Formats: sequence, C-alpha cells, structure tokens
Amino acid sequence: MVAGKRLGRSFVAKQCSSMAFFSLATAVIVVGLFILLPMTASTGAAVRQINLVTKDMAFYLEGDPAPNPTIRLTAGEQVRFNILNLDYGLAHNLAIDGWSVETAYLNADELAVVHVRVQEQLGSQAYVCSPHREMMHGFIEIVAKD
Amino acid sequence: MELDADSWSGEGAFTQTLIDVLKTLDHVSFVRVEDAQSSRSDVDYNFISNEIFVSFSTRDRMVQTKIFGVIPSSRTVTEPAISVSDLESTLCTFEEIGPPDYADGSMLQYLRTERIVPPYQTKGYKHVELVRIYEVGTKLLAQGDEG
Repeated sequence: MVAGKRLGRSFVAKQCSSMAFFSLATAVIVVGLFILLPMTASTGAAVRQINLVTKDMAFYLEGDPAPNPTIRLTAGEQVRFNILNLDYGLAHNLAIDGWSVETAYLNADELAVVHVRVQEQLGSQAYVCSPHREMMHGFIEIVAKD
Repeated sequence: MELDADSWSGEGAFTQTLIDVLKTLDHVSFVRVEDAQSSRSDVDYNFISNEIFVSFSTRDRMVQTKIFGVIPSSRTVTEPAISVSDLESTLCTFEEIGPPDYADGSMLQYLRTERIVPPYQTKGYKHVELVRIYEVGTKLLAQGDEG
C-alpha cells in the first residue's frame, strides 16, 4: 500500500515536471517567433506588381479598358512588371528608354517579367513597344512618397 | 449571300475589299461586319479595327455507324461546306487580299499599314487597319481573359 502511494506520487511528479517543461518550451518558441518574425519581414521591401497586357496594338493595365494608360509609381519603390502579349500574330515588347529597360519580343501568350527600382527623381518616363512605338506608347508618372 | 453591316461605320478600305470578295464566294452564306472597340486615333496614327463574322453553307454527309456497336447503320450529318482554313486558302488566291498575317484555324487576321502624308505636311500619320475574320459561333479574341 505504501509502495503504491510512493509510486503514484512519483508518477504525478513526473507528469507535472514534463508538463512544465513543455509549457516552458512553448513559451520560449512563441516569444522567439514574436521577436524573429518582424525582423525577417523588415528585411524584404514590398514589391508592387504591375500587370500589363498588350493587345489590339496597345498596352492595357489588367482590368482597365483604357489603352496606353499612365502608370503612377512612387519614387524609390520596387516594381515588378508582368507583360503578357495577347496580340495574336504580332510580336510586342516593353521598353522604357530612360531606364534602359527593354524586354525581348514576345509572341502571343508569352510573358516577360521586369524588375525595376523606381528612381527617386520625380517626373515622367515614356514606355513603348519598340516596333510599334507610334501606337503603343504611354507614360510612367513618378510621384513622391506620402 | 446575306450581308449585315449595321454595326459597321464603313471605315476601312481593306475591310470593304474583303467584303466584296466574300460576296462572290459560293460557300459563304452570311457576313456580318462590326467596328471593334479597339479602333482609335491619335496625332500620329489612325487605327481601324474591324471584325467580320462569316457563316458557311452546309452540306449533308452520310456516316457509317453501328447500333449498339453491332448492327451496321448510317446516319446523315450536316456540316459546313468549308472551314476557316479553306476560306484562308481561297482568299489567298485573290491578289488584292493575299495571305493573312495570322491564322489559327478559327480566325484569320489581316493587318494593313500605310503612311499617309496630307498635302503641305512632311510627317503625316500612320494608317493601320486590322481585320479579323471569325466563323459565327467561335470565341472572339477580344473576349479573352484580359480586359
């Protein structure tokens, strides 16, 4: 009987100590995540996606019916241009002469990706399709950060 | 041949040429011409985009089948007398039209570009005419995923 009580007490004590260990470990992990996650998030700046579609001899922003729209970018921001050609039988590209950006010519259904960091100087830059620059041209307007 | 040009402004000399030729083709039973939304003008260019929808006359063809996969039988199938690819070949024979700039079996696309310099001007403007021919019932390229 006494031996049984002793055995029961040590079993309960073991259970309690293991629970305490797991609680402590969980607390350490949670606190560590709270400290580490903001640090990892702050190391990569947000990249803005601009989806441009070429069709009917014009550039279009995805979901916007206006041809060759003015694209407003913020000074210093990181931008990823995704250019998709939907003009069957016509090859197009995206060129921003002032930034020395020029993609390869894209056949229908081909996609090109361009990463740029927008200049700090405010103003505007022209964007064109190199072989069709008379019809396919628009402006990138660089505005100040808030 | 039935022609429906109610939704066409009449702009586009090459479009008119195509219509004139389509009228003469035996197997083309219906032609509808429309202005495309992408038509636009600027100082440097005049872009005319038209869409032509055609229907072909039909023909009946006997097809051998088997009822329950065993009993030999035949049934009549009604199908277009020609296809878009056949139309492409036919249009190629016309000197004023020639081969399309793009064809994919469901659509023919013609692009005509010329620079027009009015009197007393040096640069002028670019005149671009884009014409797409579809068979009635096929999905338009302009109705693709992107707006």
